[in-house]
Amino acid sequence: MRLKLPKEKMFTGPASIFRRFFAFLIDIIILDFVIIFPFRGILRDIMPNGSYKESYQFLTANSGYNTIILVVMVITGILSILYFALLEYKFNQSIGKMILGVFVKTDLKQKKFWQYLVRSIFLVPVFPFVILWVLDPLFMIFTKTHQRLSEILSKTRTVQSYSMG
Amino acid sequence: MKQKKSRKWVFIVVVLIILGLFSWFIAGIVSLFVGTDTATLSGNVALIPIKGLIVTESGRDVLGREVASSKEIVAFIEKADENKDIKAIIFEINSPGGTPVASEEIANAINKVNKTTVAWIRETGASGAYWIASATDHIIASRMSITGSIGVIGSYVEFAGFIERYNMSYQRLVGGEQKDLGDPFRRLTINEKRILQKKIDLIHGYFIEDVARNRNMKKEDMQKLATGIFYLGSEALDAGLIDAIGSKDEVEAFLKKELNITVINIAEYKKEATFWEMLSGVFNENSFFVGKGIGNALFERRVSNDIDIMT
Repeated sequence: MRLKLPKEKMFTGPASIFRRFFAFLIDIIILDFVIIFPFRGILRDIMPNGSYKESYQFLTANSGYNTIILVVMVITGILSILYFALLEYKFNQSIGKMILGVFVKTDLKQKKFWQYLVRSIFLVPVFPFVILWVLDPLFMIFTKTHQRLSEILSKTRTVQSYSMG
Repeated sequence: MKQKKSRKWVFIVVVLIILGLFSWFIAGIVSLFVGTDTATLSGNVALIPIKGLIVTESGRDVLGREVASSKEIVAFIEKADENKDIKAIIFEINSPGGTPVASEEIANAINKVNKTTVAWIRETGASGAYWIASATDHIIASRMSITGSIGVIGSYVEFAGFIERYNMSYQRLVGGEQKDLGDPFRRLTINEKRILQKKIDLIHGYFIEDVARNRNMKKEDMQKLATGIFYLGSEALDAGLIDAIGSKDEVEAFLKKELNITVINIAEYKKEATFWEMLSGVFNENSFFVGKGIGNALFERRVSNDIDIMT
């Protein structure tokens, strides 16, 4: 006999910080293999094998290499944004988010591609976007909706499904 | 549902592949602009080439050829000295000399090294390059290498007569009587020539002093050799300016005996030129030879015009 049990009630709410963190970690590992790996040779040839202090001193003395490193970082940042933007726009999830069961939701009636670019703009390591490295986590921790500043600006939010009962 | 899921993963894989390919492409482009300081990872003997004009900063000479920068070479010497795997340093020298300061910087850096150093002079190891070679423990050159030339030169072309001929003039505006000393657009006075000569003699004195000390010779004996004349390798050996005649084999044989080892693995310390540096070097050299060819052709034509063939 089949029991007529009430359907499980689901609702979406802000994704937990830990899930979001680990989803991001998984995505970073994937980006490391796909996007950053080809530049490793160049960075290894430029940077001396030494401590941070030695590397800093080297870069200070050789400003030409700063430009190359900055160019490499900007290019990898842009490609990383594209990874997140394309997957989140198409599927509302990146690979890390798929694994951890979180997804991106838009506050607008219809999602726009610019939203998914803006929410990941912190990946470009140039001023003023580097400010988001500090502001995004603070907003995520201290706001009620647990939205990063980039998410507020892009009118998106990272959510997960919760079940009741 | 299954089809939708598989299409999803196809899209994801395609995005990753495209991003990856783009990344490799950009990395390839960027690497063309990056010249690297390479110290090969393994080896028990460092090889530091000293080729071309010896100057303090890196760059290229007027023909676009690479110069031997004392800043870079001193850095390589220090790296090789710090490397515990490196037992000795070979300086492969093929240079006509350079500026006194750059040559002295390298020579001083070699004197500070706590390992066996050998200068291997190829075609030319003269003037400043010999200064550097003299600082090593052992100098080996070919019997036909050009070495020595222990002298200083500060000659220049004076254009004063030329500009007078074409009704141009040099307007002298100086604060300090000797401020335009050596300016090629005015005549050098006898007194000024004396002043410049004194300075050249001073530098020459430092050169002789250093080389005499390096070679364990008396200053007076070195002075007799330091007329600025170059010596072939065989002559330099007789004069005590070098230690042996030979080539790479003799260098290795010396090091094997000195260090009591059977195998020598060379670790070359040099800066790799970027693709663009190599390309510009080739263009510059080609341009020079094109110009030389045109100049030669014009000269030949003028000469042939002046010669009348009579029968």
